[in-house]
Amino acid sequence: MTVETALSIRGLRKTVHVGFRRKPVEILKGVDLAVERNDVFGLLGPNGAGKTTTVKVALGLMRASSGSVDLGVPGLSHVGYLPENPYFYDYLSGREFLGFCARLFGLDGDARHERVEQLLRDVGLEDAAATHLRKYSKGMLQRIGIAQALVNDPELLLLDEPMTGLDPVGRVEVKRIIEGLHQRGKTVMFNSHILSDVHELCTHIAIMRIGRVVWKGSVEEALSESATLEDFFMKVVTA
Amino acid sequence: MLRRISAVVVVVLCALGVVAYQVTRPAKPPSSPRVFVPSPRFFLDFSPSFRTSIADAYYLQMVQYYGEHANSDRRLDSLPQMVELVTRLSPHFGRAYLFGAFALIDAGRPDVSYRVLQRAFKENPGDYRYPSYLGFFMYRFGKGRAKNLKAADWYQKAASVPGSPSYLPRLAAALTGKGGETEKAILMWGQVYGAGDKYSRQKAVDGLEHILPKDKTARMKAVAPLYGTMPKAEFEALIAELFKGYAP
Amino acid sequence: MNQVVAVTINTFKETIRDRVLAVIVVFALLMIVGGLWLGSISLGEQGRMMKDFGLVAVTGFGLIVAVFVAAGLVHKEVEKRTVFVLFSKPVSRAAFIAGKFVGLCGTMAVVLAGMGLFLFVLVWVIAGQASGTVLLAVVMIYVQLLAVMAVTIFFSTLGSAILAAVLGICVFIAGQLSHNVLALTRLGKNPLTEALSWVVYVLVPNFSAVDVKAGAVGEQTLAWGQIGAWVAYLLAYIVVTLALATVIFRRKEF
Repeated sequence: MTVETALSIRGLRKTVHVGFRRKPVEILKGVDLAVERNDVFGLLGPNGAGKTTTVKVALGLMRASSGSVDLGVPGLSHVGYLPENPYFYDYLSGREFLGFCARLFGLDGDARHERVEQLLRDVGLEDAAATHLRKYSKGMLQRIGIAQALVNDPELLLLDEPMTGLDPVGRVEVKRIIEGLHQRGKTVMFNSHILSDVHELCTHIAIMRIGRVVWKGSVEEALSESATLEDFFMKVVTA
Repeated sequence: MLRRISAVVVVVLCALGVVAYQVTRPAKPPSSPRVFVPSPRFFLDFSPSFRTSIADAYYLQMVQYYGEHANSDRRLDSLPQMVELVTRLSPHFGRAYLFGAFALIDAGRPDVSYRVLQRAFKENPGDYRYPSYLGFFMYRFGKGRAKNLKAADWYQKAASVPGSPSYLPRLAAALTGKGGETEKAILMWGQVYGAGDKYSRQKAVDGLEHILPKDKTARMKAVAPLYGTMPKAEFEALIAELFKGYAP
Repeated sequence: MNQVVAVTINTFKETIRDRVLAVIVVFALLMIVGGLWLGSISLGEQGRMMKDFGLVAVTGFGLIVAVFVAAGLVHKEVEKRTVFVLFSKPVSRAAFIAGKFVGLCGTMAVVLAGMGLFLFVLVWVIAGQASGTVLLAVVMIYVQLLAVMAVTIFFSTLGSAILAAVLGICVFIAGQLSHNVLALTRLGKNPLTEALSWVVYVLVPNFSAVDVKAGAVGEQTLAWGQIGAWVAYLLAYIVVTLALATVIFRRKEF
């Protein structure tokens, strides 16, 4: 791993045991990928390809059966994560939830308060800050999810389907946030099925299929082989 | 609309039916005088806190059981077992002992009542009430010539408990005399006189008058053992009262 | 430490805002007031009945709150996938378990303080004199429930919430009968039975040693030195149980 790599995954394998007889099922069959610093990296693949599992192993939510994951940032305190279809504590208000997340990173007192208010403005939820999360719409939950991923101003941001449930205005705002992070030198990796967003935002992509990375490279390289990113994706996953 | 009205009517009729049945059903007949009472051994394995709660629950059941049957068939067949259970599980529950003892008298079981109070005193030696009631029960329900002396013995034990009332030594002394142990009774009255207050002294004098011989010489002989058992001034005061009216 | 504090505050808010908790507390207060009726048929023992049945109500409802809330604490986070948000941040599994437990301790303290003070005032009004031992009995109930909560959290890391709740209740009952298990160890006919009895005796927390309800109604003389030692034992028991829960939880994947 070079100094310029934000996330390096080598030979990653993951086996889970399912059912009464604990039958082993290999979900990841040797994943290799590297995310450079200041990249906006798209991790693509059909459902069940292993994208979410790869991210979970990178974060330590699951243990690798073999292989290695190196975060090029000094630990989880410099990482932000938005899970797919996020669910948060419905008894907390938006402000309380972000305050909780900020406290987890050691932010105290005025610093925490200021950071929370700034994030609420950034994601357009300042009017709903005092409302309990159980009353939030799907789009609002997605926005508060992005806010909690940014609470520690992370160097590396991992987003799992960040556009899910957002209306067109919301999607534009999220794209704006990702572009802003890229301009500030942050590294973003996100999973998405919306290839137009990937085309618009990403510099590099990797395509996974049945637990392996079957193609990786820049978006330009992909578009040099097919007219559109959708055509290229279909060509790779059906090969 | 019609369906909603029908539903409301059905619900209201059902509610009225429930209330009417509850209000008008006949009063519950008295339960059987014989009820199942578990053995205390079963509960003794429980922790002390739960034993106390179980005892309290059975105490309430005992009070209800007594009230129900004392006012109807006057059959209290299971009362002894109830008293035994409550007092074994909660050995310092004073009211349970006392209520149980008197209820057992009502149940025609003074023998069981007596044993309950004996156990009460053994578990609670600092409570004068139990030996005091034992003395009363012995006097009231005891049989045979020795009952007065046994009653006196209990009153004496009650009197020796710190904080016991002043009438207990007097009762002990009176019953000792009534039981025929005159010499002992005289000494006990002497102790009552020594208690100090005017009322006790008057009672002691009355008690001694009751058992002392009228003949002066015999009387002097009878009171002689009191000398040395009380301060000289008190002894002389007592003698003065006992021999008031006698020729010097 | 920040993480433990954050999880503690979050858990306290989560549990104290649960409407079911409020309903249970209201029922508990109604049960305590119901002791007045029992006192009225006790022939002058209102004070004793109020104390005894009031403390039984506090114990019973406190136990319900403790096991059912503790059983759901870890399980709910996993089921609702809020663990993804939590453990993608620098939060250790130990800090999570500790924060959950301490947060629930705070909630239980509020619940029991409310019930205990209510009972104390009611007993004072009925019996005509304040009984400090009622409050001490409630404190001891709280200590017992802390251990029950720790055990329930431990079981919740192993299996389902319902199973953890049932096992938590079983441990509470077994803890009340702990002295019987000790007696079994001394029957001594079969070395295997004796050894097994010792294992069970050590594993099951001894609650009867710190239950002072009998003393509150005047049935037992309280040896506070011994009770203090048993409280320290229970606190150590809690630490060991939570450590084991952490070890198991560390192995979990989400």
